[in-house]
Amino acid sequence: MGILIDKDTRVLVQGITGRVGSVQTRWMLYYGTKVVAGVTPGKGGQEVCGLPVYDRVREAVEREGANASVIFVPAPFAKEAALEAMEAGLKLVVVITEHVPLHDSFQLRRRAQQSGCILVGPNCPGLLRPGVGKLGIMPGNLFTPGPVGLVGRSATLSYEVAGQLTLAGWGQSTAVGVGGDATTGLRLSEVLPLFEADPETRAVVMVGEIGGTAEEEAAAVIEEMSKPVIAFIAGRTAPAGRKLGHAGAMVRGSQGTAQSKIDALRSAGALVADSPAAIPGLVQRRLG
Amino acid sequence: MLLPEYYGKMLLARAGITVPRGRVASNPSEAFAIATELGKVAIKAQVLAGGRGKAGGIRFAFRPHEAADQAADLLRRQVLGERVQQVLVEERMVASRELYLGILADPSTTGYQLLLSNEGGVDVEEVARDRPEKLHRLWVDPLKGLSTADASYLAEAIGLPPALANELASIISALYKTFVENDLLLAEINPLMMTRAGRLVAVDARLEVDDDALFRHPDLRELRQSLLEDWERQAQEIGVSYVPLPGDIGVIASGAGLGMATLDLLQLAGLRAANFLDTGGGINAELMRRSVQLVLEPAHVRGGLINLYGGINPMVEAADGIVAALRKLPQPKPIVVKLVGNRQEEAWAILEAEGVPVVKTVQTEAATKLLAELLRRRT
Repeated sequence: MGILIDKDTRVLVQGITGRVGSVQTRWMLYYGTKVVAGVTPGKGGQEVCGLPVYDRVREAVEREGANASVIFVPAPFAKEAALEAMEAGLKLVVVITEHVPLHDSFQLRRRAQQSGCILVGPNCPGLLRPGVGKLGIMPGNLFTPGPVGLVGRSATLSYEVAGQLTLAGWGQSTAVGVGGDATTGLRLSEVLPLFEADPETRAVVMVGEIGGTAEEEAAAVIEEMSKPVIAFIAGRTAPAGRKLGHAGAMVRGSQGTAQSKIDALRSAGALVADSPAAIPGLVQRRLG
Repeated sequence: MLLPEYYGKMLLARAGITVPRGRVASNPSEAFAIATELGKVAIKAQVLAGGRGKAGGIRFAFRPHEAADQAADLLRRQVLGERVQQVLVEERMVASRELYLGILADPSTTGYQLLLSNEGGVDVEEVARDRPEKLHRLWVDPLKGLSTADASYLAEAIGLPPALANELASIISALYKTFVENDLLLAEINPLMMTRAGRLVAVDARLEVDDDALFRHPDLRELRQSLLEDWERQAQEIGVSYVPLPGDIGVIASGAGLGMATLDLLQLAGLRAANFLDTGGGINAELMRRSVQLVLEPAHVRGGLINLYGGINPMVEAADGIVAALRKLPQPKPIVVKLVGNRQEEAWAILEAEGVPVVKTVQTEAATKLLAELLRRRT
């Protein structure tokens, strides 16, 4: 099973003719993903990685049966690109692009909710289901199939955790990177119920970080879950009032601190690891 | 980016909100000239930190020469850790009452929150905590915007006479428009002063703009460039996200979460980071060379940790950049590189040929422990 992606997911890539879009498309294909088309306005008729490029999302949907989109277009155009995908009826849209303005992200999340679309990102590594496919930029070689659902805000830190789970023999059902911005489309708290309902997933590892309230919202969901959740929170030593790389990663006053998140997660019944290396042991403790 | 008060007020004035008459001065003679025009004035240090009044950053003067003296004094000082480079000299307002009006972008509801209180002039978080009934809130759906009716409804919540409530409603609408049009994250007027003449005047303004939206606001982008500290400009030129910290270990990580975890794990190993540096995804040799230089060159930095997952570019480029920077370092310092990704074996070979210890696993702990060990052996 796994979540969000399956063998019927037919992916189109918006921004496929750009440097990042074309390289990542090659890697998505190499991983076995069913990428069926690309879209770049004004470049319809070209080919990238042997795939047809269209001017508009609607054409790619009609001609190639695309039912999900991955977006690599630059930040000034990301909102329009995502809205176009939603208007074409796609129900899964992954925005990899970073530095999307917050006001744009607010509108995107609300439009996604209205149209029943699962919007992942922006500023995220996307989704990967080991052995099935990936929508985004996660490095496939660090993942392997198994019972652990992985969800995180940070891309490379999630890779580190995935790599350690894999080395310890704990494969993953699906990995979801929700993104590092202050507002994300799909939220940590919304991924957890998907894993809870997925028969293949037996435990969830959640990689959070300072800033915002996403982990506290997730804690409220964890309270109701039957499956064990193991969490790690990055940024325990971060100074207040400073943005550390992610637009969302800032402690404001007493809000958004690592401690408030760790406390909320622990009291909801999650195990919280002191370091990424401790995560596989905690999974073992709950599932072994 | 927080906007300096004078700039925020300029945006408010453009939207039709009344602000005190005044101008910015960079030296005492400019302050003298402005005070000559205006009479009784306030002289306000243009620093970005909150709580400037209590820290002595706001002065008053009755005569131009006093204004010049006060300006001269402020321009020599630091207020709340920031050097004062400009002061705002403006007419002194006398209040009959002070209100608070604010709008903020609230990520948890993906909406805009409007806040209004009778109790202006004080810290609004204090009002929210101690007297929440005094803080009136209105949530706005970004897809719908703020209606005139909602603005009036909010304005009527604090019991002003009808004429003033009308004026307040149009200020609320104007502030909302400024907020949306400039991609603001926060817009606060505190105090919004009711003068004895019965006008509402924005006496202070705290506006924060979304740095990610500057591509559609050329004026604000220019302002930001003029306000950057040297290290901020350097990091921007390199194309990385960089924050100085109080420790003595230089840190480079390819990703924000990984970077934060690296700081945490350094601390567990008994070390303290001198900085946070997130390279982002597009690592190339030049970016890496300049990043290593930036974090390792300061004399107080005694070692470094580089923690990378390769994205688009082969890691060979990162290794080349690291080696180039290390060869130019004025004094050798122990560093550890942990690097995984595209063409990693070649990258490891390049680093090892240069004598750089390489950690080849996905465990950052292995790298922090090795660095701690290397530093111990040196002392």
